[in-house]
Amino acid sequence: MSGGNIRGFSYLENLPPITFRRLYQQPATSLAIFRRMLPNLAKVIVTTLLYNDKPIPLADLEALIRPESHRQREDAFSKLRRLHIIAEAADGISLDPVFKKNFRLALTGGGSHHSFGVPCNTPDKKNVTVAFLDEYAQKKFESILHFMVGTHNDTKPGDGVIELLCIGKLMERQGKGTQATITKNGFSFLLQEGNSQIWALLIQYLDYAEDLKMEKTDVLHFFLMLGSLELGQAYAIKTLTLTQRTMLTDMRDYGIVYQRKASSDRFYPTRLATTLTSESGGLRSASQTMDVATGADKADDEGKGFVIVETNYRVYAYTNSPLQIAVLNLFVRLTTRFPNLVSGRISRHSIQEAIKMGITADQIISYLTVHAHPQMRKNLVILPPTVVDQIRLWQIEGERMKATQGFLFKDFTTAQDFEDVARYAGELGVLKWKSVQKRCMFVTRHEQIAEWLKRRAAGGKR
Amino acid sequence: MPRAVKGVLVECDPSIKAIILKIDEDHHHAFIVEDLDEDHLVVKEAKLAELKERLEKILEKTQMMEKDDDSDPDQPG
Amino acid sequence: MPPKRKGAIAGFAGSSAATASSKRTKPAAPVDDDSSDDYSTDSASEIEDLAPPEGAVRTKKALDKATVNAVVNRFTLDSPAVTAAPAVRTRDSVSHLFNKHDFAYLHMKPDHASRPLWINPENGIIVLESFSPLAAKAQDFLTTIAEPMSRPTFLHEYKLTPHSLYAAVSVGLDPRDIISVIDRFSKIPVPEKIIQFITNCTGSYGKVKLVLKDNRYFVESNDPAMLQRLLQDPIIGPARIQGGDAGSGVIKESAPKMGALVIPGTKNAAGTAQLGGAAAAAEKKAAATAAEDVFASVTGLGDNDQDDEDEDEDAVHSFEIPSGEVEKVQKQCLDLGYPVLEEYDFRNDRKNSNLDIDLKPQAQIRSYQEKSLSKMFGNGRAKSGIIVLPCGAGKTLVGITAACTIKKSVVVLATSSMSVVQWRQEFIKWSNINPEQIAIFTSDNKDKFRGDAGIIVSTYSMVTNGRNRSHDSKKMMDFLQSREWGLLILDEVHVVPASIFRQVVTSIATHSKLGLTATLLREDDKITDLNFLIGPKLYEANWMELADQGHIAKVQCAEVWCPMTPEFYSEYLREPDQRKKVLHYIMNPRKFQAAQFLIDYHEKRGDKIIVFSDNVYALKAYALKLQKAFIYGETPQSERLKILENFQLNDKVNTIFLSKIGDTSLDLPEATCLIQISSHYGSRRQEAQRLGRILRAKRRNDEGFNAFFYSLVSKDTQEMFYSSKRQAFLVDQGYAFKVITHLSGIENLPGLAYSTLAERKELLAEVMLQNSDAGAEEGDDFDGAKNLSYNANMKKRGAKYKRSMGRLAGVSGGDGMAGPLVWRMLLDARV
Repeated sequence: MSGGNIRGFSYLENLPPITFRRLYQQPATSLAIFRRMLPNLAKVIVTTLLYNDKPIPLADLEALIRPESHRQREDAFSKLRRLHIIAEAADGISLDPVFKKNFRLALTGGGSHHSFGVPCNTPDKKNVTVAFLDEYAQKKFESILHFMVGTHNDTKPGDGVIELLCIGKLMERQGKGTQATITKNGFSFLLQEGNSQIWALLIQYLDYAEDLKMEKTDVLHFFLMLGSLELGQAYAIKTLTLTQRTMLTDMRDYGIVYQRKASSDRFYPTRLATTLTSESGGLRSASQTMDVATGADKADDEGKGFVIVETNYRVYAYTNSPLQIAVLNLFVRLTTRFPNLVSGRISRHSIQEAIKMGITADQIISYLTVHAHPQMRKNLVILPPTVVDQIRLWQIEGERMKATQGFLFKDFTTAQDFEDVARYAGELGVLKWKSVQKRCMFVTRHEQIAEWLKRRAAGGKR
Repeated sequence: MPRAVKGVLVECDPSIKAIILKIDEDHHHAFIVEDLDEDHLVVKEAKLAELKERLEKILEKTQMMEKDDDSDPDQPG
Repeated sequence: MPPKRKGAIAGFAGSSAATASSKRTKPAAPVDDDSSDDYSTDSASEIEDLAPPEGAVRTKKALDKATVNAVVNRFTLDSPAVTAAPAVRTRDSVSHLFNKHDFAYLHMKPDHASRPLWINPENGIIVLESFSPLAAKAQDFLTTIAEPMSRPTFLHEYKLTPHSLYAAVSVGLDPRDIISVIDRFSKIPVPEKIIQFITNCTGSYGKVKLVLKDNRYFVESNDPAMLQRLLQDPIIGPARIQGGDAGSGVIKESAPKMGALVIPGTKNAAGTAQLGGAAAAAEKKAAATAAEDVFASVTGLGDNDQDDEDEDEDAVHSFEIPSGEVEKVQKQCLDLGYPVLEEYDFRNDRKNSNLDIDLKPQAQIRSYQEKSLSKMFGNGRAKSGIIVLPCGAGKTLVGITAACTIKKSVVVLATSSMSVVQWRQEFIKWSNINPEQIAIFTSDNKDKFRGDAGIIVSTYSMVTNGRNRSHDSKKMMDFLQSREWGLLILDEVHVVPASIFRQVVTSIATHSKLGLTATLLREDDKITDLNFLIGPKLYEANWMELADQGHIAKVQCAEVWCPMTPEFYSEYLREPDQRKKVLHYIMNPRKFQAAQFLIDYHEKRGDKIIVFSDNVYALKAYALKLQKAFIYGETPQSERLKILENFQLNDKVNTIFLSKIGDTSLDLPEATCLIQISSHYGSRRQEAQRLGRILRAKRRNDEGFNAFFYSLVSKDTQEMFYSSKRQAFLVDQGYAFKVITHLSGIENLPGLAYSTLAERKELLAEVMLQNSDAGAEEGDDFDGAKNLSYNANMKKRGAKYKRSMGRLAGVSGGDGMAGPLVWRMLLDARV
């Protein structure tokens, strides 16, 4: 799953069951979740159960799966359970009825839902091309990025967006009515890859929506629906709920949809929308985002490569762009600025601060490589190896202690018991450490094991 | 029945472990739930943040005066 | 008896320990104080000046160090005199990152891309594009007027300081030229603040020279107004001897030029034109001319380097003063804010006998050596000052060539009797001096030379040791102090305390002084002392450039991280005594193993390896366990020589262990690998010096590196911090320290020491038994100087330890066998 989808999943996973039921009332949602949130094995299980009206015993389902694929099996079932797609009873496994019904609808069409959006039948007076939509989306999204970094850009994002950025702690205001400025989290956000960024904003929006008394499920529906729309096609507004119509304004500001005017009867999803729930990169990949943010996509020479890294950790960058400077400042301690050059140093402190913000050593190294000054490119190895090594070492330094939350299982009565549990935990993928000698182990989750133990105690061994 | 004790699994190299053990010793064993092996311990969840802080402070001493390393004679100060 | 001439020195004897240390002004750019230096210039610990014996040339009265500092530091970029009105600046979203150093508002020249440098108006730092076509010329210029701060691969940084400008002026640069040349090289017009700074600094320094000609003293300046000002001074005016043009009392003549003076061994010298082939020489010349054309077109300066060509300025003005007034006039000039530069017109010195000495034909002077000498002799006279060259780059030859140029009697001071022997050998090797005319003055030798002129080579300690002189020694000192010398060569000036220099310059009368060093300190007061005791910096070489040209070795530097074993680390964490903590991380078994592995690896490669340890306990422990020879302070002279000889010539002796004494110019030309197992508290100089031990190695050429430097540090201990601090200097010269976290194959090394827990625990037990003294670094070793007062007064760690060593070693530096034996017994007794 892409970064964005992982976030989406985590978000969804934590929703209460009742929300899920409401979510699944919309076929589009059911489909979207099916498509993007489930591993393949889980999909097979769903489709197997989809047209069966009777529950299927677990053993039968498991028989479909190769015995050595323990991990995948457990993962699949686990996810299905957590998304409340399956229900388990004594006689077997079945699909949640609401999900089942609406998923069927999604597949076969039909029903009077509009969850997939209603395309407009009438042609648009002014033709809207895909290219136009792409450009529009790019400009809108970029204006958000530029605004965050504080570059002087012509188009400022709407107030709603700015509010959202502040609520999401990506920006902050020092006092009422003052200019919003970017925070450390905001910079970290800048360095993320595109899909993650969109989802980050959308999830913020979801949280915010609740405060605005918008129905969360409505909002989620809309997102997931947007993900299933077709690029270049106009869709009617009249079938949208009130919440969703309100959302349109905001979605416009993010560049996710295009509407000529607020009073238009239709809207167009942009690529930012249609790739929301797809695996493919969408409008921007990581380095593209960086390039946009830093203006390096401008074709001139300076943009192409402008950073010099010396063996004594000094950094010199031929730039005057506040964006580029701001980005450099994330992991370089900048000290001096001339009209066409800034200089500074990389140090343990500067790198570790960057890492605390969520930037990785690889991101930094890759940024420096991609933007290396032409003089540097004359070497076989572009960046000085000692500096590269050291940056990684500094990152490792921060990771010298790995902490995993979980549970220590001890007091096993027999070695056999221990072995069995250890094996099961391993299959589940939750085992982190064990010692046969000490007869104890550490696992990340214990509920499944506890359940398994209970079942084992109750019935025979599996 | 085996029992499950909530905690945090800490994985580290022996030197770090030595430091953690010392921290624990100096604070009436308030941190460690169980010492597992050369590279692992289980630590109280509630004490994790504090442990990290103390560990960092001690390690800082090996990189003492970070500011000096950073400090530039060119800087106004 | 000829009239005693006072030593014409611009130096200041620390007449009393109470030299105003309280109001010490810091140099313009205080950097993190390398206070761990052995020779921290804590005035309070300076020694009493020893009155020179009867009959010696009378020396000058003290000139206040504080006054000197005040003069030098009158002009800094921070001082009120230099504040210019802040320019109107627009601020954008990132301006706040730079505070006062946001110069985006400066206006760039339209052709800035072809100019190689930027200037920071706030702190005088100059950034240079070393890949610019004009870079080479710019670099030459910048080394003359500024301090090199950072010279890695692409962009270099230099800094304008009062001292560097002083040096610039003293080699003859005119402030207006300085500004104009900077301007031509600069992408931005020279900021007003910088112009003011340069003008102010150079306004004072180098305006006044004291020239000795024909046994007469002249106060000289190329600025007639300056002279007039001096003549109007109530103290200086009356000192003037009447004479000169039409009653003005001022003599005008043309400025001294290099003219017919030929520095031996240089491309101008007749002899070397034959070597290297005429073709090669012609080629070189052609290339040189081409570069110079470019330079000339950019800077508008002629090819005669930076000497003033302008007709109007070609005159110098001077007036004569009697020798008896020299001191007074000098002091007064200083008080007025015009420190006096000294120049020795040796070609016109008829009074002192000439020394028949010249370089042998096979002595080839390299380009950087020539450059440095041309700064010293640029105008045909000998300027006093300091030349900075990396170790192994041929400092000795520079000194010898200077002597061959001046051709008067020379005194050479070195740091140890080993170096003394080597200097003499080098003189004989490279010059045609009659061996009987070069004599040694050490605890073992007290010869004089035959004839009127000659060379004496001695150590600092020998000439400053005031007490307990043997009869012979006293006679030598009388000899040294009773005559005038043409040149005083001061080797390794960075090693010796300023107080020693004070003593030396006041007790030995010389017309010119040349200080040689590998690393010139900028960080503490020493530079002030050196500038005023010896002279300004004349030249500083670029390490990387020398390495690229093959003059010094290309060194692969690495820091090997050795994790502490659990038992050592636990104890280290718990040990309250700082010095015993040190022992823990030096004796870390993993560090030992790493050393063992590296030695094995490099011996197999055929390298000659030196292992350094500041700590004597560790030195012996490692060396004994690995069965290698070792040399430290207590090792008797003869044993040292034997070990070094074997190291050099014997196939079977490929690794030796050295303590700190190895730092003071033990000449080891064949070492190709250096392993550092202990290095106290991080002096940057130290690390650079140690590197110098192997910088001579040029022969092998694997992977472009022909020498290796490993610094072994115990991970997660304080040693890591000190290590990075030390490396700072080298890193700024362009060296890159690779971090090695794991030596592959080390587990498989046969006979790997301390591979069992039992052995390690045993070692730990031993270490824990040691007294905290064992964790100290070894004291200094100036031969026979252990009981010298300055050593005893040194307030540093281990001082006590040293003193007891001194007592045992016997009186007046006798390094008999009894000393070390007794000491060893004492150590055993303690344990």
